[in-house]
Order: sequence, then C-alpha cells, then structure tokens
Amino acid sequence: MQQIDEQLIRDSQRGDAAAFARLLNLVYELIYGFALKLLGKVEDAEDLTQQACIKLAKVIRQFRFEAAFTTWLYRLVYNLSLDWRRSQKRHQAEPLGEYEPPKTSGQGEAQLELERVLALVSTMGKGMKETLILVYAEGCTHKQAADILAVKESTVSWRLHEIRKRLKEEADYE
Amino acid sequence: MNDEQLKELFARAKQERAEQAEQAKPEAKQRAIDAAMAEFSAAGCADKKDSKPSQALFAWLRLSRAKSSTEDSFMNRYFLPGIVGGAATVFSLLFIVVLVDFDVSQRPLSNDGEALVADINSPEAEPRLEEELIVTGFRAEPSKQTYAESAAAAPALAEAAPAVAQVPGHEAPGVDSIASKPVSKSMSRSMLLSKQQIAPAAPAANYAQASSDLLPPARQQAFRDQFEHAELSGIKLVKNEPVSTFSIDVDTASYSYVRRTLNEGHLPPADSVRIEEMLNYFDYNYPAPTNAKQPFKASTWLSASPWNKGKKLLHIGIKAYELEGQAQPKSKLVFLLDVSGSMNSPDKLPLVKQSMNLLLSKLHDDDSVAIVVYAGAAGTVLEPTKVKDKQKILSALNRLEAGGSTAGAEGIELAYQLAEAQFDKDAVNRIILATDGDFNVGIRDRETLKNFVERKRAKGIFLSVLGFGRGNYNDHLMQELAQNGNGVAAYIDTLSEAQKVLVEEAHASLFPVANDVKIQLEFNPAQVSEYRLVGYETRALRNEDFNNDKVDAGDIGAGHKVTAIYELTPADSAAQSHEPLRYAKPSKAAAPADGEWAFVKIRYKLPGETQSKLIEQPVTKAQQQVPAELKQEFEFATAVAGFAQLLKDERYVHSWGFDEALELAKANRGEDDFGYRSEFVQLIRKAQVAKAM
Repeated sequence: MQQIDEQLIRDSQRGDAAAFARLLNLVYELIYGFALKLLGKVEDAEDLTQQACIKLAKVIRQFRFEAAFTTWLYRLVYNLSLDWRRSQKRHQAEPLGEYEPPKTSGQGEAQLELERVLALVSTMGKGMKETLILVYAEGCTHKQAADILAVKESTVSWRLHEIRKRLKEEADYE
Repeated sequence: MNDEQLKELFARAKQERAEQAEQAKPEAKQRAIDAAMAEFSAAGCADKKDSKPSQALFAWLRLSRAKSSTEDSFMNRYFLPGIVGGAATVFSLLFIVVLVDFDVSQRPLSNDGEALVADINSPEAEPRLEEELIVTGFRAEPSKQTYAESAAAAPALAEAAPAVAQVPGHEAPGVDSIASKPVSKSMSRSMLLSKQQIAPAAPAANYAQASSDLLPPARQQAFRDQFEHAELSGIKLVKNEPVSTFSIDVDTASYSYVRRTLNEGHLPPADSVRIEEMLNYFDYNYPAPTNAKQPFKASTWLSASPWNKGKKLLHIGIKAYELEGQAQPKSKLVFLLDVSGSMNSPDKLPLVKQSMNLLLSKLHDDDSVAIVVYAGAAGTVLEPTKVKDKQKILSALNRLEAGGSTAGAEGIELAYQLAEAQFDKDAVNRIILATDGDFNVGIRDRETLKNFVERKRAKGIFLSVLGFGRGNYNDHLMQELAQNGNGVAAYIDTLSEAQKVLVEEAHASLFPVANDVKIQLEFNPAQVSEYRLVGYETRALRNEDFNNDKVDAGDIGAGHKVTAIYELTPADSAAQSHEPLRYAKPSKAAAPADGEWAFVKIRYKLPGETQSKLIEQPVTKAQQQVPAELKQEFEFATAVAGFAQLLKDERYVHSWGFDEALELAKANRGEDDFGYRSEFVQLIRKAQVAKAM
C-alpha cells in the first residue's frame, strides 16, 4: 500500500484544489484496482471508483490522520462496495450457500479460476472475500486488513485460515 | 490450495488482466476526477462542518464533531511521526512491491497513449487536467523539498527493509514525491529500471519479513505458463531469398497443450501454438527407409493450396528408420523428477509416476534405471537398478511425494553423476526430466544450465524433458534444454499422452537415429516466385549454418516422422502476394533445370558421429502425382497445419475456416488406430465453440 504524503492531504483538506487533484491521481489506480477485484467487472469498477472519488471529495476533511490514509481509503471503497452491491441486488454479494460458477467470456484461465475461488469464498460469510482480496491481492498485512475491515487482527488471521482450509477441502474432494 | 498457490493464482489473474488491458480507462478516470473535483469545489464553498450523510456512513470512523482545530493538529503532530512513520515504512514496502509490479505490468512501457505525464507545476487546478500521471514509488529525480516528511520516511524505510531497498536503485524509494518537471522519458526509464531490478531481487528477497505475505509473483518466472513469442514467417521472394533453412523439430508439446486448453473450453494463447509441433504430433504413414545407414527417407508432394487460390503447397514428409524389437539398444535411464510442492495436483506427480511406470514396461531386463528428485526432497531415491528388479523401481517411484521447499544444489548434477556412473557406451544414456516448470535443478542460471546440458551431451548423455500440469509451465526453457540435450520435449497432460509418448513412441523418444538434422531448400525462380514456410518459426537457421556442423539442430528418434509445408506462389500464377517492382527491370530467369521446382537437401549426423552427411533430391513436376495413401496423409497434414494457423495467426489463410478444416480432416482420417485423428476432429469442433463464445 502506498504512502500518501501527509502534506498533500492537509493541503487538500484546506481546500487546495491542485493538491486534491494530485491526490486523486495518486490514488485512482489503487481504488480502481481494489474495486475491480471486489466487483469483478470493469464497468462496475469504474462506476464504483467514480463514486469513491466523489465521496472522497466530500469527506476528505474528515480524515484525522489516526490511521494510514490508504487504510481509510480502502475502508471507504469497501463500504461503498457494500452499498453498491446492495443497491444493485447482485447475488454474488451475500449468497446463501450456492455459488454460481463463472461464465467463460474470453477471460484467461487464471481469471476464471480466481473468479471461481472468490465466488466460493464469498459463500463462506461476510467479509471473507474482502479479507482474501486485501491480503493476497492488495498486499495488506493482517493488521492492515483488520483496520480496513474494522475487525480484530485475529479475526483476519482466522478468516484466512478457514479459507485455506476450505479451498484445500475443495481441491481434495475433486 | 495452499498459500503459495493462492498467491500464484492472484498474480496470474492480474497478469491476464494486464494482458487484456483491463486497466482504468483514461475516459473513465477523467470522468471520475472531474466529478470529484466538482464535488470538491462545491464542498469547499460550504463550511467545514460534517455533513450528515457521510457522518452516518463513516460512523465507525469515530468522527468527533470537533473541527480540525489547532488543538487537534497539535495532538496529531505528536502521533504523526509514530503512526505515519511506522505505517509509512510498512506501506512503502508493500507499495514499492505492489505498485511497481502493479504499475509496470498494468501500464506497459510501450506508450499506448495512456501513460501520460503530469505537468505538476501547472497552476490550473481545474478538473480539466491536461495530462495525468500515476506516480509510482520510483522517480528518476528525488522529491522536491516541499514535502519534508518524505525525506524523513526514506531513511526509516531504508533501515526496515534492507531486502526491498536493494530493489529500487533510486533514492527516495516508496515516496510519492512530485517530480519537478515532466518526466515521461525518465518515468519510463525508471519503470524499466525498476522492472529489471525487481526481477533479480525477487527470487532473492524474502518479502515475508516486515511486510505482508505479498510476493511480486509476476516477477518470478515460476508462477506463469510461459511461451516464447515468435513472429510468423512472412512470404519471401525467391529472387531475394532463394534459400530457406531450418532445423527439424519432433517435439509435440504444443499439441498437448493446445488440446488441453481446448478441452477446457477456451482458445489457446497464440504463442503456445507451434504449427510444426501440431503437425508432427500425428503418425503419418510415409514410406519408410529400409536400413539404418540411410536413416530416413523424404517424400514430397506438390498440391494446390486450399488457403489461397493460385498457390501451391509443397509437402515434405520424412520418416525415420524404425527399430525392430530385438534391435532396441540398451537403455540407461535416469529419471530426474520434480517433487516440489506445486507438483501436488493429480495431473502432475501422480501422472509422472504413472508415466514412468508405463515407460518401464517398454524396457528390457538389462536396461537400468535410477531415480533422482529435486526441489522438495533432494537426492537419489534409487541407485541405478536393472529393470529386472522392477519391483524395487516401482516401490521407489510410489514412495515419492510432492511437497516441501526447494532443497540445495542437488538435482541435475546428481542425475548426470548417476548417468555417468552407469554409463555404457553401447547403450543410450538418457536423463528424463519430468517437471511442471520448476527448473530449480541446482543450476540457477539458464545459460549455465543449457551449457551444462550441452557439454554432457557431447559426452554421450542425453536429456529429454517432459512437461506436466499448468500454471508453471515453462515451455521455452523446456524446448531449449531438450534441444541442447538431444532429446524430445513433450507435454504430458493425460495418461493417454503418457502412453503415446512413452510407450507407443518409446523408441522415438529414447533412441535417436539421426542428430542435428537440418533441411535446406532452394527454389527455382523460373517456377516459383514466392514461398512461405508454415511453422518452424523458432527453428529457423541461417543459410550458412546448414553446412556448419557445429550448429545444433533437432534430432530424430527411431520411427519419428517429420512434416514441413511450404506455401508456394508459382511464377506464372496470377496470385502474387508481392507487388511487382516499379523501378527494377524484370530479369529473365535462367531456368537452369526445367521442371524442377525446388531442390531439397537434408543434413544429419549418425548417432555418435560429429561429421554430417547429406541427402539431396529435387522436387519435380512429376511429384504432383502420388499414391492415394500418401495423398491422404498429406491432406490430413494440411488440415492440421491450417487449423494451427487459424489458432495462431490467420493472416495467410483466406476463405478457409474451421468448417473447411473439419471437412478436410474428416475425409482423411484413414485407419486411425489409436483415435488421435478423430480426437483432432473433435478439437476443431471445440475450437469452433470456444471461438464463438
């Protein structure tokens, strides 16, 4: 996760538009990358990222430097994604046990496999999939992921352990 | 799925996404930024009060109603160094690793018009930013002193992360500093540098410390299926380049890999399709030579080209001498098996064991076998043992388990030592390397590894490579090693394939009858104006290498068949691909040998010899008539070559598609004892389906 310069944030909070523009540029790919992993589709991710940027403009002043800016940002995006999914009524969000296998659509083999894995993991409970994404794709430590998701660090570790166990069972069963 | 595999999976998916260029589109980004800036200005007009909605949403951020007063900032200043500094260190580590990887892979260096440069000093803070730039942690220039904290973070970073710090060659790593001037060139350079630096550092650096479990797996070769990219051979003018030279290739790996992908429902990556390997997968019934002195026989046929009106196809079919049962030479084999953790899936180590089992069935009692493992466990699992003691060999095989991390410098050197220990100059001494792509055999550097294999080959110990599984498959290295080792490279995806390569074609896989086989054709400009070699892009040789015995080429095993197809434009055809020249005077060709289309020369070395021998024959007009059985084989080959081109690059195939391939293949199935041709017909159908999706 990147380090955003504190001064840049402060300037933005003070209303310096140039600084905020720079800040947006810095974090756009980060938000987009995370959104893409959360939602899976390019159009959706673009949507969500735009919403996140707008939200960021609204709430930048509320950042209180108590945690890392990126942690705060991830949280912002994560929560937006929950809202977004709820409003879109997609059933990949909090499904009840069944997961639909991904459709092949000219995607690469690893992407399909990843989709399958993510779909499976999301059936395991709330926050499981996001935990996996944060740690494995975004490169967060358990602590950072815990901050972002507002859970205990041990919860994150436990979640990952459960995920690995479940995936292993899946593989063995085949 | 274990930790390693998970990481690998994410990395591969990311890689694929990068390849599909699913990155933030600039229009979308611009829209987002515009919208946000509008909101920002609007919010700026309002007072600094917390807005209800966002407060509700961010209630868990523990927002106090206090504004950012001086009191708060004082407090923050105390916390700041501690938290931000500490967090910054950690984040910078990850940031470097992720974002450079992120950036470099997702923002290709070749300027596709999207990587732009920020003119940071431009005063207009308006949404309509002319140029944008995503800042990575790497800058060619150090940060401006405007942001003093960056300097503070840098030394802290340097202490905490010695391993990572070796990665960025620039100062102020991990800092999102603002460069002073447009830095597009230096940006690309720094990205290029960071990419290069990450690569060597990645295997060495142990990112498990300080930071997360994040590896930059895209940088490590082990976590991707790799294929070399080769441009299709173009259409050449005979008057400029009348001579074409290439090395034969009897590897079949590409066909198995393509088959596997199609069976999974998608089209294979273009680079994984090697037309010559698809062609050579099949058993063509070409006329065979009768004695080992002239170990192969070449047949040719001139037909009309189905892919382009007015063109012809020149088929060359070579069949190698087949060994009779008793004449099978003695074998001294060493199985060098990869038992790393990644070999755990059912299509890997278990299949390896079964394959080796099958191979044993083809060996004679006084052949001998040894087993060495690498990358997981280490060392000798079985000393050289006669096949007479089959049980002992089988139990050693069955005891093998995948797992563990890479062990030391055992592996290939040990295998060769054993081979030397059981060396018999009257036998075939061969190492069979079975891997899913981990070439961590104890010699790290590729060039050193290749040279090592070559030197041992000179001593009479050969190497064949069998690839298994996916996600790790390193096609290119496999090919190179097999060629250097005078062996076959095959990809074993199923038990039937193992059966084919190691049982039915055991002789071919194990026993060479000719080494360093090169083919050279000279076209007669009176008859032919253009030609194109279909396939063999990675096998092209310089014309002068044909006579140079020091230049390595492919090897033919007993009973092997090799097919090559040239598409020719006859001199009198209306369908010339090249435009006639405007300025050069058309010269009358001398037409020296009338009726000859081309002259074929084949050089080869008998096993153990260093001097090559030559076979030559002309391709005459008379060769347009061939017996019906031979015609059938050549037609089937045409179907395969056409199909392969459709998969790889269809630019030279006109008005001929999967349907036509299907018809041609079905019509020429012949006896098809083992069903491979019918399987091929099925593959065409699967490709049609996959393409339509």
